[in-house]
Amino acid sequence: MNAPTNLTAADFKSDVKPIWCPGCGDYAVLSAVTKALADLGRAREDIAFISGIGCSSRIPAYTNVYGFHGVHGRALPIAAGVKLARPDLTVLAAGGDGDGLSIGGNHFMHACRRNVDMTYIVMDNQVYGMTKGQASPTTAPDWCNSKLTPEGTGISPVEPARLALASGANFIARGFAGNPNEVARLIVEGVNHPGFSFIHVLSPCVTYRPEQREWKQSVHASDASPAQLVAEAMQRLAYDDGYTTGVLFAGNRPAFMPERKVKATFADIERKFAS
Amino acid sequence: MTSDIATFLAHAVALEHEAAERYAELADSMEVHNNKEVAELFRKLSSFSKLHLDEVKGIAAGYTLPQLRPWEYQWKDGESPESAPSDRAHYMMTPYHCLQLALFNEKKGYEYYAEQAHKATDLEVKKYAKMFAEEEAEHVVMLEKWIATVKPPQDGWDEDLDPPGDAE
Amino acid sequence: MAAYSVSVALTGSGGAGAMTAGQILLDAAAKAGFYGLMTRSMGPQIRGGEAAALLRISTKPISSLDDYYDVLVAFDWGNINRFAAELPLSKSSVVIGDPEQGEIPEPIAVYGAQAAALPMKEIAGAIPGGRANMVGLGAAATLIGLPIESVIHVLTAQLGRKGEEVLAASTAALRAGAEAATSLPSVAKLPEHKHDGSDRWNISGNEAAGYGALKGGIKFVAAYPITPATEVLEWLAPALEKTGGALVQAEDELASINMVIGGSFAGLPSLTATSGPGLALMTESLGLAVASETPLVLVDVMRGGPSTGIPTKSEQSDLNIAVYGLHGDAPHVVVAPTSIVDCLFTTQWAVYLAEALQTPALVLSDQAMGQSRNIVAKPPEYPYVGKRLVAEGALEAYKRYSLTNSGISPMAIPGTPGGQYVADGLEHNERGTPSSQASDHQSQMDKRADKLTNFDYGDHWAEVEGEGDIAILTWGAITGPVREAMERAAEQGVKAKLVSLRLILPASPDKMAAALKGVKKVLVAEQTHGQQFTKFLRAHYDLPSEIAVVNRPGPLPIRPAEIVNRLLAWK
Repeated sequence: MNAPTNLTAADFKSDVKPIWCPGCGDYAVLSAVTKALADLGRAREDIAFISGIGCSSRIPAYTNVYGFHGVHGRALPIAAGVKLARPDLTVLAAGGDGDGLSIGGNHFMHACRRNVDMTYIVMDNQVYGMTKGQASPTTAPDWCNSKLTPEGTGISPVEPARLALASGANFIARGFAGNPNEVARLIVEGVNHPGFSFIHVLSPCVTYRPEQREWKQSVHASDASPAQLVAEAMQRLAYDDGYTTGVLFAGNRPAFMPERKVKATFADIERKFAS
Repeated sequence: MTSDIATFLAHAVALEHEAAERYAELADSMEVHNNKEVAELFRKLSSFSKLHLDEVKGIAAGYTLPQLRPWEYQWKDGESPESAPSDRAHYMMTPYHCLQLALFNEKKGYEYYAEQAHKATDLEVKKYAKMFAEEEAEHVVMLEKWIATVKPPQDGWDEDLDPPGDAE
Repeated sequence: MAAYSVSVALTGSGGAGAMTAGQILLDAAAKAGFYGLMTRSMGPQIRGGEAAALLRISTKPISSLDDYYDVLVAFDWGNINRFAAELPLSKSSVVIGDPEQGEIPEPIAVYGAQAAALPMKEIAGAIPGGRANMVGLGAAATLIGLPIESVIHVLTAQLGRKGEEVLAASTAALRAGAEAATSLPSVAKLPEHKHDGSDRWNISGNEAAGYGALKGGIKFVAAYPITPATEVLEWLAPALEKTGGALVQAEDELASINMVIGGSFAGLPSLTATSGPGLALMTESLGLAVASETPLVLVDVMRGGPSTGIPTKSEQSDLNIAVYGLHGDAPHVVVAPTSIVDCLFTTQWAVYLAEALQTPALVLSDQAMGQSRNIVAKPPEYPYVGKRLVAEGALEAYKRYSLTNSGISPMAIPGTPGGQYVADGLEHNERGTPSSQASDHQSQMDKRADKLTNFDYGDHWAEVEGEGDIAILTWGAITGPVREAMERAAEQGVKAKLVSLRLILPASPDKMAAALKGVKKVLVAEQTHGQQFTKFLRAHYDLPSEIAVVNRPGPLPIRPAEIVNRLLAWK
């Protein structure tokens, strides 16, 4: 690992201009990510940023670190592969609520459970923006503005923080795109916390969910210090309104990483075939 | 509240820096969305902020500024006053909207410095806060005049005759 | 049938121990200096199902089963109809059953083989701790002329740990069976043979694939179990751990292929193994590896399809999905081992190719090779180790997908300053930035196709043997019976040439044209229902106009006699 750098947030931005609609919450997340990475002080080449498919998943291209824009829903296994192969790298993953909790739901559960050291940022706008506005797993059951589900889905949404906790994530935080500085802080804490860190960011979609402009009225900072016991966190999240920001849970599960040691030669292995 | 001059100037630098960055980001965004007129406007606003930034940096050169982490700044609601809340942007926004956004920012900037000037006990802080507040006030006036020369948006300004695309 | 080998089948159910007996017989044959092959057939039950150990023991190296079994020893007849078709017998074969188990059932009796009775249960009952399968094993070994001492030697090595009493009981049962064999009708016997002292291996196709991967330099494996590929992964788990690599179990195939992509992107040669249904899941992500030019190896141990198919039986019907299963034009490498021991070379070569060409390399093995054991000459060392072209040094304005003469562009490994890029499934320009422009799509598509066709694959593209104006085109496990058939047909005056394709994709039109020079008739042999290989050959190669096909789906292996008969029809 190199000595801490003197890079600024701007140094972590690439020269590619985001295609996000003006007003999109993801701009704030990009700002938060670049500020967080600058604060962490690692060299750009020692960071890998993995994403899936969707508006939010475009984010690695807007940064200056190593990135992988994978297929829909599969950012977390790619990220796990990167970290397991190269424990020395700092690994971040990002995507939207559809990418992460619908097609990616299974991988999300197992990533929390497996607890490989990485930080996963979900930009939750409760809609599939890239494909023109369908309901997502975090959409309320009575949202009727999708042509695909004109009467609403009629299905209860999943609550990402609860899901993460139940699946074993070691660090759970929630932020709001309206407060990018706070999101930056949460990302830094998440990266520094061992194991799987989940940052749930409420990130409004101005195009398909313009009413989310009102989120700023509902968002409020947690007044409790982070829960350290799962049971305590479960209790809190059971009553959580989904708009509480801050670090909700900071656990102490050890991060998963297989040990590497060379204990045998090819000749040793071949002996087992000898007949 | 920022009590000493170095911390105050650090905040001022951050404020102008974030303003310049945010306007540049909006300019890029408008460019990508083919809103050339407003893109140019945001570019201009960004360069104004950059001028202010250079001015503040010039003043700050004589001091050792504290290295503050982004969330350690003492802003009222966690974000610097002139970092345009991006939800006020729209890909079809008109120059009028753009200038209104800038006006909103400058007012917030003015309020920030005015409050600093009022509450500061350190004389240097008071001096510079007052100076910056006055500059912001000038910007407010300028913007208000500018807005008066710009057509307010008509009904249907955000009517898009093209359907949305789906990129992936 | 070959004079230099003898084929034995041992069957039983409910834990009778047919598999154990078969394993010991194979090991004993190896100890006595013989070569051998053992495949197996089992019922769907997890425990207690019906099982058949199907062996062929030979003085020469073999990679195929013969046309029928010289002797079948049945410890019982539980559910034998499930695989009676896989136990072909001739009139000169001998079926040995335990009279306590009743009459020989119709599906076996119909072969018309000689029947003999051996009261294995009764004999075992007279020995404290004696087991019927050891009695049957002793009889089988003696009947085929395998020295009983070899069997005892192996038994001692295997059971030694379990204590004197267990060993004594098994040895006694073995000897009792050997004794009883003297009153049974005689069968074909193994010729006298001594071990020539050469190094031999007893290995399965799945183990060979695992070791080939290791030798090729695989350092990271993500695993999801599926029959019949699980053993590749289970073999690799401890072996990787011992050699500085790591294996992680994933939650599904979608996770395993993507973890492999991540591991490879991060710089480690990476691999996963699966079967047809898993490969179907992985196709989207394979396309990602193609588009992002990420090397990886995927071993597909083919089984009966389509869909859930017949998980425990072999087939060659994943050819289509391996070759054509990625959406878009997605050139990649597909290779196929030609025998159990070739699983080692071909997988090792696949690692080398994947890394050199920065693309996924699919290895099409199958259940017949994967789960069968072969006594073979110890394979030589092969020089192929995966090494990718890496972007190093002080990188400036680095272009991950730069257009080079070879089509291969240097890859920056994370940690390399200045090499940052975003690997993407989206079409991109040389820098890697997403692009929908015609010129970028054309040039990147050309790059990804040309890098494969420009590469020199050497002689490994196929095994080409023999002379004649008849060529037999085949691949994979069918190579074994084809080779034997060619020998036998030659003895009867029909000469043929073998072309067993190892490099399936990219196609090798020039090399095939040279191999088929002077060939007027082609026989294609494959284990599919839909003639996938024949159609593949027609699509990619110029063939003579007279083409015959011997094909059938699993589970019944294609045997040498079928190919001989087809060749003789051209006499």
